[in-house]
Amino acid sequence: MIRPTGIINFAVGEWAMVGAFGGFLLLTEYEWPYPLGMAAVLAFMAFLGWATERIAVRPLVEKGAPLMAPILALLGMLVVFRESISVSFPPDPHPVPFPFGFGRLEWGPLGGSYQSFFIIGTTLFVFVGAWLFFERTVAGKSFEAVALHRRAAALMGINLSRVTALSFAAGASIAGLAGLLVSPNISAHYLMGIPLAIQGFTALVIGGVGRVEGALLGGLLLAFAEQLTVRYAPIPAGYAQGVPLLLLMVFLLVRPTGLLRARA
Amino acid sequence: MKVLALVGAALVALSAQAQDTIKIGVITDRVGVSKPYSEPSTEGLVFGANEINRKGGILGKKIELLVEDDQSRPDISAALARKLIDQGVVFILSMSLTPATQQQQTVTMEAKTPQMTPMNSGDTLTTQLPNPYFWQTGPLGSIQIATLLAHARAKNLKRVSLITDNSDLGQLIARFFRSGLEKSGIQIVSEEVVPRGATTAEPQMQKIRAANPDALFLAGVLTAENVLILRAYRQFGLKFPIHSSYNLSVPVYLTVGKGLVDGVTFVDAYDPDKPEVREFEAAYRKATGKDPFNMHGYGYDGIMLVAEAIKKAGSTDKEKIREAMQSLTYQGVMGAKGMKYSFPEGKRAGFDPNGMVVRVYEGDKQGRVVYTGQK
Repeated sequence: MIRPTGIINFAVGEWAMVGAFGGFLLLTEYEWPYPLGMAAVLAFMAFLGWATERIAVRPLVEKGAPLMAPILALLGMLVVFRESISVSFPPDPHPVPFPFGFGRLEWGPLGGSYQSFFIIGTTLFVFVGAWLFFERTVAGKSFEAVALHRRAAALMGINLSRVTALSFAAGASIAGLAGLLVSPNISAHYLMGIPLAIQGFTALVIGGVGRVEGALLGGLLLAFAEQLTVRYAPIPAGYAQGVPLLLLMVFLLVRPTGLLRARA
Repeated sequence: MKVLALVGAALVALSAQAQDTIKIGVITDRVGVSKPYSEPSTEGLVFGANEINRKGGILGKKIELLVEDDQSRPDISAALARKLIDQGVVFILSMSLTPATQQQQTVTMEAKTPQMTPMNSGDTLTTQLPNPYFWQTGPLGSIQIATLLAHARAKNLKRVSLITDNSDLGQLIARFFRSGLEKSGIQIVSEEVVPRGATTAEPQMQKIRAANPDALFLAGVLTAENVLILRAYRQFGLKFPIHSSYNLSVPVYLTVGKGLVDGVTFVDAYDPDKPEVREFEAAYRKATGKDPFNMHGYGYDGIMLVAEAIKKAGSTDKEKIREAMQSLTYQGVMGAKGMKYSFPEGKRAGFDPNGMVVRVYEGDKQGRVVYTGQK
């Protein structure tokens, strides 16, 4: 979403939270079959993303507000989303079911829960999809064009507001999917958004904002750094959580554009 | 003139109504971090007040609760205490976070207004300020840990692991566990931390598995992270027992930790077999249609203690209530069978050090008491 609009959306973690609560409501409360519940959550999130853009972003952009204005408006939306959930549901974490049940797969040196493998598979699917869209389709190219030069893109006949609305809808869907995927492990909770967003932004900084693969690469690096430090690094347990942040600082100092640079 | 007379009559009616009730202030948390504890506790308190009023009130007057929400924020909390005192409350019940309760004391001490927390467990609440108007009846953190460790000694453990989260309270409880275990001569073979917002505790649990302990002590207080820990434990099919802090007594684990908690022991101040508890649960169910749990008991005992003190004082004079409270002995819902709250020798923390119990999860239910006290 950052790509075509240049807007950093701090509410992305709360979108993930809304997705997780959607999972709780449909899958746990109403016991819908998983694929149906998942599709409904994705559709609702797309709508929510579109609505967010309509309410919080477009009026500002149309009135020519500086880029900072929608970013701050979205920070406000973060509070709106979180508090709406916090008053609508009891404060405790809510369980969300696993699509493939609770179990573990050992495969040579690799091992993990069914859910871990499901998350890896879905993530790859989403990234391949996003990569194909941005790199291989005209519509994707039009997003790129908007990112490079809004006015020029508009002059070329690209509908700016449609691109923005679409990118918000897609962004919210993917954030909601992330929330749905992670919620069987961490449970749906109204404060779950911020840590997820921090991890996401760290991954983005490490990987590079300009490229689709950047976020994936950054996410993988961050995950390996986190998990391997906890498991193998000979440092007291309390310090292991500082390692990813150290990594972030090193990247900001040495390579502030991230590992992968945007193509010229 | 007619209008003025009407207003006058209304004012008289209002003040008459105000005189008819005994006002008790309640400072709770409806939106902040303490909400999961404050809410059920306050529900228990409100139920207790209704019961008292149904039976005719105290000293022939009904209780009127003035409830305020401090969001667990100490800065707001003191101002609310002031507001309640200005509105004429004779007692304040503090139902939110320990630091907020502490902050309220600065006001109640100066305004000489009795204040009590029936649920906070911070050890220093009654020792930091020489506030004769403040009491605490929640079980102190040190009692919880001593009870858990007494249970561990009885189990003859030699080598244990310790896991917690990175919250203030989780770290604090882990520190108490560590020093207590070391004093008992029990070796800690590995110590792990799961940070807030983590998405897995598997690497931590792999390390613990490698250390092969006799038992795992769970000191975390963040529900989601504790569930991650329990999930990793089941995932690896581990067999050593888990002994947990008071945190696992909160019934949220029945739903969010479904299928994960069987066999885990936890410290609690609630014995389901205690006659007072059975009576309380039946009455609560009848009045509200809902099942109460341990948190409800705290608020219920709180308002009952206050009512008892006012009854004993025989008046709503704050000084008389203070004297009555200090000399009170009361057996309530919370605590092991037969436990009484009391404040001997000027102490203002009233929970009996031997009043806590260790319970065990049986299936997905909070089950029987397996150990009592700290001897």
